Amino acid sequence: MPKIVGIDLGTTNSLVAIVEDGTPRVLPGRDGSTLVPSVIYFDEGGTTVVGNPAKEKMVEKPKNTVFSIKRFMGKGIEDVREDLPLLPFEVAPESEHIIRLKIFGRDYTPPELSAFILRELKHNAEATLEEEIKSAVITVPAYFNDAQRQATKDAGRIAGLDVLRIVNEPTAASLAYGLDKRKQGTIAVYDFGGGTFDISILKLSEGIFEVLSTSGDTHLGGDDIDEILIRLVLGELKQRPDIHQLQAIRRAVNKAKEELSSANRADITVQELQYRRSMTREEFNKLIDPIIERTLRPCRQALQDASLKPTDIDEVVMVGGSTRIPLVRQRVQELFGRVPHTELNPDEVVALGAAVQADILAGSKRDMLLLDVTPLSLGIETMGGVMSKIIPRNSTIPASATEMFTTFVDGQTNVKIHVLQGERELIKDCRSLAQFDLKDIPPMPAGLPRIEVKFLIDADGILSVAAQEQRTNKYQSIEVKPTYGLTDEQVEHMILESFEYAEADIEARLVIEARNEAETVLNATAKGIADEQYANISEEEKAEIGAAIARLREVMRTNDHQVIRQAIERLGNATMHLAELIMNAAISKALKDKRVREIQ
Amino acid sequence: MDYFEVFGLPRQLGIDTLALEKAFHDLSRKHHPDYFTRASPSEKTQAVRMTALLNDAYRTLRHPVRRVEYLLSLYGFKPDSSKVPQALLMEVFEINEQLEEVKAGKASVEEADSLRAQIKEKRERFDSQLQQASLEWDELVKRGEPEARLKEQLGRLTEILSESSYIRNLERELE
Ligand SMILES: Nc1ncnc2c1ncn2[C@@H]1O[C@H](COP(=O)(O)OP(=O)(O)OP(=O)(O)O)[C@@H](O)[C@H]1O
Ligand SMILES: [Mg+2]
Repeated sequence: MPKIVGIDLGTTNSLVAIVEDGTPRVLPGRDGSTLVPSVIYFDEGGTTVVGNPAKEKMVEKPKNTVFSIKRFMGKGIEDVREDLPLLPFEVAPESEHIIRLKIFGRDYTPPELSAFILRELKHNAEATLEEEIKSAVITVPAYFNDAQRQATKDAGRIAGLDVLRIVNEPTAASLAYGLDKRKQGTIAVYDFGGGTFDISILKLSEGIFEVLSTSGDTHLGGDDIDEILIRLVLGELKQRPDIHQLQAIRRAVNKAKEELSSANRADITVQELQYRRSMTREEFNKLIDPIIERTLRPCRQALQDASLKPTDIDEVVMVGGSTRIPLVRQRVQELFGRVPHTELNPDEVVALGAAVQADILAGSKRDMLLLDVTPLSLGIETMGGVMSKIIPRNSTIPASATEMFTTFVDGQTNVKIHVLQGERELIKDCRSLAQFDLKDIPPMPAGLPRIEVKFLIDADGILSVAAQEQRTNKYQSIEVKPTYGLTDEQVEHMILESFEYAEADIEARLVIEARNEAETVLNATAKGIADEQYANISEEEKAEIGAAIARLREVMRTNDHQVIRQAIERLGNATMHLAELIMNAAISKALKDKRVREIQ
Repeated sequence: MDYFEVFGLPRQLGIDTLALEKAFHDLSRKHHPDYFTRASPSEKTQAVRMTALLNDAYRTLRHPVRRVEYLLSLYGFKPDSSKVPQALLMEVFEINEQLEEVKAGKASVEEADSLRAQIKEKRERFDSQLQQASLEWDELVKRGEPEARLKEQLGRLTEILSESSYIRNLERELE
């Protein structure tokens, strides 16, 4: 049976995991690390690198090194206006409803950029498992809205993955945490990562993981703490930094922030600006207190929605890198009146849970079942710009609602439906999801058609709509215009383009591998020439070695891996005799040594 | 299939919520789309539809007020807040004014607390009325009373919901 992997597509770090023999484990990347930084570096030649090597380029190549792209998923330019001044990216003008970053003159949407990360994870899994991976479960913040979930699914498709399920991150974490199915009781999962904050309250009983309520903020995480510190440094600088220096500041404050989780004092050092300042934990705590307070409000909301008091919570599970901050732990402990669990690796637990959910979907685990909820109320626009709720937040998904629509004018054949998500009264304070056009309604006097529209939120938390005219029993055609998302055709187009990437990527990798091998061969040859045996080969042989070296040096910097390979082979042939002589000499020396020792 | 049928329950309002939860979990294990990943597309769609219906039914029936609303809708009854006695409207109007002051931060803590207690007391009075009328409904159904008597009781339930909707809204605003 083909394997299904679990993927944690994080703002800062991404991971891929799989369950084997009942145990989930994270699969390592090319450099052996299990965390793949969610950073993509584009080089001039059009090739991309993802992960640690890309992260190293953030200061040197700020414009073409993309990070924290998850914060842009499902967003228009207005949503992120405040962040832009601190980011080194060039935003394309056509970014009203989908942000597009311009990199070397080409526009990339967040799903396309995320797809680079997913492709890397897919590759890592394939390299470790030695088989092709086609399907995945991908996690998203519980508080992600419809557009953000859809964007994540699109990213999966562009990366060539069949996304079998979108799972909420805190819920996934609870799966990994409660793998031992004897665990019972009410738990709260507090997930504070790089870009987002989630709180979910679950009831565990006999293998059923039932989410009672969830709340959060999809724009609140370690990045925001970094931003506070960046602004602090900017205020203390005499000159305005360029984008290289800006990124150097980001790196420096991030380092200091992480140090302050274990030390009482840390230095913020930006060599590029000859800037240095020290910060105490106390000072840091004061700066980030408002951020932590912003995480506690959703916690209280989630408790209220579940009709629970803090003391009703049996266990609190901490997830996400930002829960390493001592003040975060302290505040959470104060709120719930109990010491939170921190023994799980907060970086890996979401990916492990995603793998567990993948295992359930693969059919091997029927004793566990996840019952999740939709984080936001779903509604439709009614007269006067008021939002009428049809599926309340925290409804278990899949969930559905049926509404009747009719016409206002005689012979009207079209009805518009505007769908939104949010908790506020007025549509202007809610998030627009999509406009649906009910078309081809049989012409009738006004008010006579009865069009039944069924809204369905599926197990991924994504909406679909179906309509039927009751009098004629005819299914209505519906045209969907997502407000903040890609249309199906756009995604298809990106999938096609991604094949070109995949090819370009393979090509680039072959070139890099060939170059690396060329270097190894050249080094070995240099050693051979220095060996005393070099004196024992003919002048023609020496001339050929010299020529082969020159040829390899000449072609090594080209982008044609086949030419490089040919040159490597030529040098290999030229040095064959020399290598033999060296080998023989080594053997006879070893034998001689052995004999000497035997005699002794 | 209506929500009562989903759980194999008669159309009665007294529901053992613990038993309902157990049935909800058992039925989820049977129909949940997670167990149909490798099934045919039509089986998958069926699993999603069935589970959505199950979830909608559970959400509605476990909640004592939503449960009554749903029962009423099955018989074509709909609570209408415009049909409430004048005296009640006046009362609500007064409470609303006080609420505005609390929201504007003009009231003292004691005043706010007293308002809260007042609203809560009223809501609890409606709750017990609703509970009583629900019990009566179950009795009538069990005894197999004629339709006219049943309709009358549905009317009574509708009235209680119409009247209590104001108080519930006020309470929600206070939260
Ligand atoms: N020791 C530490 N002290 C403080 N912050 C830390 C520490 N270690 C990591 N972090 C922060 O945690 C964040 C990354 O956490 P994590 O990897 O859980 O996020 P993510 O899963 O990528 O993001 P998200 O879940 O929001 O999409 C970064 O902001 C990082 O600076
Ligand atoms: Mg995370």
